[in-house]
Amino acid sequence: MPTRTILSVLAPTAFLLIFFVVPLLYVAWLSFMDPTPGLANYVRFFKSGYMVETLLRTAMMSAVVTLLSLIMAYPVAFLMANGAGLYAKFLGFVVMSSFLVSFLVRTFAWLIILGKGGPAQSVLMFFGWDPAPRLLYTTFASIIAMTQMLTPLMALVLYATMKRIDPVLLRASTSLGANNLRGLVHIYFPLSLPGVANGVTLVFITCLGFYVTPAILGSPRNLMISGLIGKQIEEMLSFGTAAASSMILMAFTGALFLIYSSFSSLEKLWGPK
Amino acid sequence: MIGTKPRFFQFVAFVVANILAWPILIVIPMSFSASSSLSFPPKALSLKYYVEFFTSPDWNIPLFNSLLVAVLTVAFTLALAMPAAFALARSQFAGKAWFRLLMIAPLLVPHIVLAFAYFIYFAYFGLIQSYTGVVIAHTCLNIPAAVLVLSAGIQSLDPNLERASLSLGAGRRATFWHVIVPALMPSIMVAGFYAFIHSFDEAVIAVFISGRDKATLPRQLFNSFMMDMDPVIAAASGALVFFLVVFVLVAFVIRLLWASSRTYSRKAGA
Repeated sequence: MPTRTILSVLAPTAFLLIFFVVPLLYVAWLSFMDPTPGLANYVRFFKSGYMVETLLRTAMMSAVVTLLSLIMAYPVAFLMANGAGLYAKFLGFVVMSSFLVSFLVRTFAWLIILGKGGPAQSVLMFFGWDPAPRLLYTTFASIIAMTQMLTPLMALVLYATMKRIDPVLLRASTSLGANNLRGLVHIYFPLSLPGVANGVTLVFITCLGFYVTPAILGSPRNLMISGLIGKQIEEMLSFGTAAASSMILMAFTGALFLIYSSFSSLEKLWGPK
Repeated sequence: MIGTKPRFFQFVAFVVANILAWPILIVIPMSFSASSSLSFPPKALSLKYYVEFFTSPDWNIPLFNSLLVAVLTVAFTLALAMPAAFALARSQFAGKAWFRLLMIAPLLVPHIVLAFAYFIYFAYFGLIQSYTGVVIAHTCLNIPAAVLVLSAGIQSLDPNLERASLSLGAGRRATFWHVIVPALMPSIMVAGFYAFIHSFDEAVIAVFISGRDKATLPRQLFNSFMMDMDPVIAAASGALVFFLVVFVLVAFVIRLLWASSRTYSRKAGA
């Protein structure tokens, strides 16, 4: 191996080993050692109905968000890839800008929309629901906000695959007698499946680990797993439990990545190269 | 074209585009609201919260901290990601698959877990409440994306450019700085751009490790959301949206200028 390559590899490897791998190993170590050596933290996690329920709730919420954002993002990505030039570029601009705006700003936007003096409640009251129910600090608010925040990501990932699908194929199916729906379902959708797999994986995993939005908008009683870990760190100072919860969350996301990588290589997750 | 633009898709896409855009647009008039409550539409308009955002040390220090951390993060990320991307794109060596996995790994870990890990790990080194800790953490977070973007760029580099440069007598170092880097500039800019934005906006890790004096803007915003709902957060959010739009425009203009200057010089030399 030429010296140049060794040096190129050495610096980033050393950096990530010292500042990424070791901290995580420390968390693993803590999970087995604090407060006493052994599996106590893990046992406590799985015996606690509350913690297991939080994990399952998180998985369920993430599944809902993933499904909703897929339904919302698919048409947008399709038109970004296949639509008329200007409209496609405009959609691309909206998606990209939405993607780049900070999560905190978008969370704030939802605070306004769902809040007491906000448009959502005004609309509900207009339709006769008076007084309108509280929308903020509920699981519903978390799901809506996370869906809106992750749809751009889903759209971008879908687009990365869709722009490679030759539009001729769809036209060919039409000229052979298929109508729009058949062409889409039998030709286009199967071709876009790698993109769908990428998007679903990325969005689901991001949602599992989402901290900021559920912490601000969500129900304090129905926490997501990241909020639970945060609470264990800050309020309860039970680092061993937090470490075990973190390891379990990592195992969960790691398993999902493993399943994904058994079908296709991990770097393809962010788009075919 | 018959088969390519189903009406149903167009309708849904239109609705979704609105769902994506309006919440962000709502932030802008809210940021000019004179009242301290969050009711929308704002009944009176005023610039006072913007003024407070830029003059009060509660807010302009975190803003400065975020900018500083973001700039440092971009520098370190590019410095580490460039060699990694070259090694991945150009060389074969034992353990390459592991190296690639390591470079991508930070993307696979939930932020809360990383925040916790840094919280206890950096405490041991005394790096909590410091710029260094946050810059290190953000660099780790951004290396994967930068490596992915840069290796894609390197793979699409024309190898003849380097061969021509070397055959004309330029050494490796001169070739690198005068041929490869300029050719790679679009990818470098994209990687740097993403690193800047992700660092500037990063909330979870900053909340846990950036401490009170070196708090970043996201940490300040988050604490305000959770505790006192200071009305300045409306102006802060509006400012962030404006910053982003300006940043995207500047990046776009730089790309245009860069692309056109290279075309010009090619024409001039011919």
